[in-house]
Amino acid sequence: MRRLIALVALLLLGSCSRWDLGVEVPFVATWKGQPLSCESAGPALTDLRFYVDDPQLIDLEGNAHHLRYATEFEWQNDVVALIDLENGEGTCENGTDVFFDRLIGVTRAGSYRGLRFTVGVPFRLNHANPLTATTPLGDAAMHWHWRSGYKFLRAGVQSTDDGFWIHVGSAGCDGTVGHITDCRFPNRVEVFLPDFVPGESVVVVELAELLAGTNLDDGEVTNCSSGPAEDACVAPFSALGIDFTTGKPTGAQRVFAVR
Amino acid sequence: MKRLLIVVAVAAALLTWWSLTKRAFDWHLPFDIPPPRVPVDNPMSDAKVELGRWLFHDTRLSGNGSMSCASCHIQALAFTDGRARSIGSTGEVHPRGAMSLVNVAFASRLTWANPLLDKLEDQAVIPLLGDNPVEMGLGGQEQRAMTLLREDPRYSRLLHDAFPNDEDPHSLLNGVRAIAAFVRTINSYDASYDRYLAGDQDALSEAAIRGMDLFFSERLECFHCHGGFNFTDSTTHANSNVDRTGFHNTGLYNLDSNGAYPPDNTGLFDMTGKPRDMGRFKAPSLRNIAVTAPYMHDGSVATLEEVIANYARGGRLIETGPHAGDGRLSPFKSEFVVGFELTLEEQADLVAFLESLTDESVLTNPRFSNPFVD
Repeated sequence: MRRLIALVALLLLGSCSRWDLGVEVPFVATWKGQPLSCESAGPALTDLRFYVDDPQLIDLEGNAHHLRYATEFEWQNDVVALIDLENGEGTCENGTDVFFDRLIGVTRAGSYRGLRFTVGVPFRLNHANPLTATTPLGDAAMHWHWRSGYKFLRAGVQSTDDGFWIHVGSAGCDGTVGHITDCRFPNRVEVFLPDFVPGESVVVVELAELLAGTNLDDGEVTNCSSGPAEDACVAPFSALGIDFTTGKPTGAQRVFAVR
Repeated sequence: MKRLLIVVAVAAALLTWWSLTKRAFDWHLPFDIPPPRVPVDNPMSDAKVELGRWLFHDTRLSGNGSMSCASCHIQALAFTDGRARSIGSTGEVHPRGAMSLVNVAFASRLTWANPLLDKLEDQAVIPLLGDNPVEMGLGGQEQRAMTLLREDPRYSRLLHDAFPNDEDPHSLLNGVRAIAAFVRTINSYDASYDRYLAGDQDALSEAAIRGMDLFFSERLECFHCHGGFNFTDSTTHANSNVDRTGFHNTGLYNLDSNGAYPPDNTGLFDMTGKPRDMGRFKAPSLRNIAVTAPYMHDGSVATLEEVIANYARGGRLIETGPHAGDGRLSPFKSEFVVGFELTLEEQADLVAFLESLTDESVLTNPRFSNPFVD
């Protein structure tokens, strides 16, 4: 009997407390498959920063396992990470010298193939006062003071005399600042990458997909601030897998891929 | 006996000191105007207002040191900037014009069309840190502002006076609170119109009195949106228990015959995404309106006469150009913008009334002026 109890205890311990697999999820910005930076010739990056929430690794049986962020890194807390793929150089004159290109965390030991995450800040954190928030939510550039909430993603590309920038975040919010009750257009990006293998894969952020419906040669800098009247948002939102008319995910984003 | 006298004297001194320090903040308001709302976490004090006055006028709070809050909120222009659309520190043109700050403490919602913004503490962060568009352009350089607050002896002293309970009062949050407190004191209730209401029969000209009657008539309907002691239906105060906000489409644009406004300025619609909110903007206060030209959210109307003519027509007609369209036919237009006939003399009377809402004292009061040059 005593041996049986010891065996059960051992099994329980073994099955539920092994959060010891360190995982890194690296991100890289690309333009038509080639690395894109603030100092690229041809199209160059002007901005690329986004929040990653609720990262999950998929095991070989198809079960999702939460990736717990390592909070000793300044740009991660226990809920969101701020991926920052611009370094303030070259065309990124409004950027920062911070560069944080990977999620770093732990999950249960096991074999995984597949990654899910949300580009966004969860509602319960999205409408707090940015002046009292701490990193990664204390960054004023990521806060959208007049829409009340964070820019989940800010991205921009410049080519010769043309360019495009986009700020994606929740819109159509109800209530007042500090007392937001709901947002009609959540505008969060749902990403599922079934071929992601920890330790081998890199998550590619393909800006050419984001700008697929944007003219980069008409000499007119276009921009999208997630507003319901903004025609310039329609194509990029579709690329991000957001239904522009509802702000809900379509399940068909094309910007994030695995390499 | 002597000891008792001393005890009584000390008690009286303590009581006096207590009553002086605990006295209500002096708003400098007439007796019949209620005090404005103040957030519980940012109570008013003279030290805080003084700190806010310096910060409001300090160009070091912009990213490149070129502008302060006062650059777009000029006292002589009732804290507007005289431009159709304001220009930020980096030269970026704002889609809208700077609103007057006079009596903004009584505004139930802030800026031109934001239903979310009801506190100056939240609003002030937008021009300081916002980057679409860039206004003061401090975003990303908050540390510089922090260094200023910490190392400038005046700011360090005023911060300690203004936030006596804070162990370390040097924070951008406290700076923003002080600016909000200062702006809350910019009040104007000493126009000719106010003196007329207070019993001075000579304060208004005959023309202004005729204009006042027109303003408050059902024929012109002005007062439905520009009513109350602040001449706007988006007004609240400390004793009010209703949350009144008005956003109205005045038939200024109708780009596509379906009521569309220029895409960079769709008003409330941009915030809510509800089609009925197309072109709805807050009715601004009309106090000091004569010194805040050009008019409307985008400064697209140059004079008060033209504003009145648009309302008389029941909406603006733009005959040519990218904004061509007949605002009168907009399906989203306010039910109060129905049009009216007005003789030239009546129009002049109405303008005379609007001019009587100018309060010279608020345009010159040293309590609000730039302390760096005083």
